Amino acid sequence: MVPKLHLHIDERSGVPVYRQMMDQIKYYVAGATLRPGDQIPSIRELAAALAVNPTTVVKAYTELEREGVIEKRHGKGAFIAPAAPQLTQAEQEGALRRSAKQLAVEATQLHVPTPKVITVVREELSALGPARGTESEPVKFAVMAGGN
Amino acid sequence: MEPVIHARGLGKSFRNGTVAVNGLHLQVGTGEVYGLIGRNGAGKTTALRLLMGLLHPDRGEARVLGRSLWDAPREHRQRIAYLSQSQQLPDWMSLEDLNRYTGHFYERWDSAHLRSLARGWDLPWNSPITRLSGGNQRLAALALALAARPEVILLDEPAAGLDPIARRELNQCLIDALLHGNGCTILLSTHLLGDLERLATRVGIMDHGHVVAEGAVEDWQRTMRRVQVVFAGDSSPPDFAIPGALRSTSLGPVVTALARVTDDAQLDGIRHLPGARVYVFPLTLEELFVDWFRDAQPQSSTDDATPD
Repeated sequence: MVPKLHLHIDERSGVPVYRQMMDQIKYYVAGATLRPGDQIPSIRELAAALAVNPTTVVKAYTELEREGVIEKRHGKGAFIAPAAPQLTQAEQEGALRRSAKQLAVEATQLHVPTPKVITVVREELSALGPARGTESEPVKFAVMAGGN
Repeated sequence: MEPVIHARGLGKSFRNGTVAVNGLHLQVGTGEVYGLIGRNGAGKTTALRLLMGLLHPDRGEARVLGRSLWDAPREHRQRIAYLSQSQQLPDWMSLEDLNRYTGHFYERWDSAHLRSLARGWDLPWNSPITRLSGGNQRLAALALALAARPEVILLDEPAAGLDPIARRELNQCLIDALLHGNGCTILLSTHLLGDLERLATRVGIMDHGHVVAEGAVEDWQRTMRRVQVVFAGDSSPPDFAIPGALRSTSLGPVVTALARVTDDAQLDGIRHLPGARVYVFPLTLEELFVDWFRDAQPQSSTDDATPD
């Protein structure tokens, strides 16, 4: 069973599309939504579903394979590798920080006070699901479009 | 080996004196999706018509799949599909008629594909084309072009006049064409730059009849940035320039540039200037395009002329 991957391609992010795909698949692995052995969509399926050029998907998959995140099994498709490297704490924080930096710049330009910025972030986290945005829930990361 | 689409030193003027295409070089390799962008009147339509052999060049060469289409036999021409801006189908015919009639001329005609596209787009199979809305007539023309299972597809603003859903379907059927069999090579002109970010492998900016900038979409997304530096005083320091700037404007203490930032450290020098605050923003293709042309010199009168 191929899980339905919700990848979000942001044309406005300035991040190459293959990179956005790679980052999000890695985040799914890091968050254990995708586990070792899980099948991921074929190049054809993903290209059609996201309306992106198939060569872009090929590039993302090739890079992910090179990094040991996925493996291709002949005639069967692509799977999350048994020893898919988890994101380190530093990588998680790095990914988050890139987006946060952009947010900080824009908030400064707009003269939005810091408490308001924090409120907005909290609201966006809540919007992603009931488990998010509560005080007790440690916020690990919730990056949709990825960075780099 | 020569690329699938090859133009070299291509030039074309019209009797009214308009120089529509002027020294165009263009190389598109197998399996590429190349987006041609540019202002109205930049020469995109004429370039495509020259490549299709619908116009004869004044100079230079235009070849598709290894030969000029101006005098190519039918077997060669039918490997290439072309959708013009003003596609005229015989509009008293229905898709069914066209399927039967047109199919005879093509070796690789795929009736099943045409039916499936028509079904997917809710195009009536038995009504005359003239009864279809403008957008649906365009989709019908595109479906017929794709039913020939071409190896090369040239599209002149294919999404013009389509609603967002139809546009997405158009993109998806182009991706389908890329995935089918041995794939295909696509050259399209468009003003819808968001679509190109997903679809295109390379983009060329056309101006005054030739390509003035060209790059891999991925590379542009990674490196093209809008960099803004705000100084503390009333003006920016004399001789100040943002490293990597391609276009630059300055207003009092604010300097803004379209810059190629290959490495963030490239900006470290200006980050450490006293009183300078540096902001770096990613750019969409659309913003890049606008920035590119915003500060261009006033353009000559030939620019407003429509090539055909």
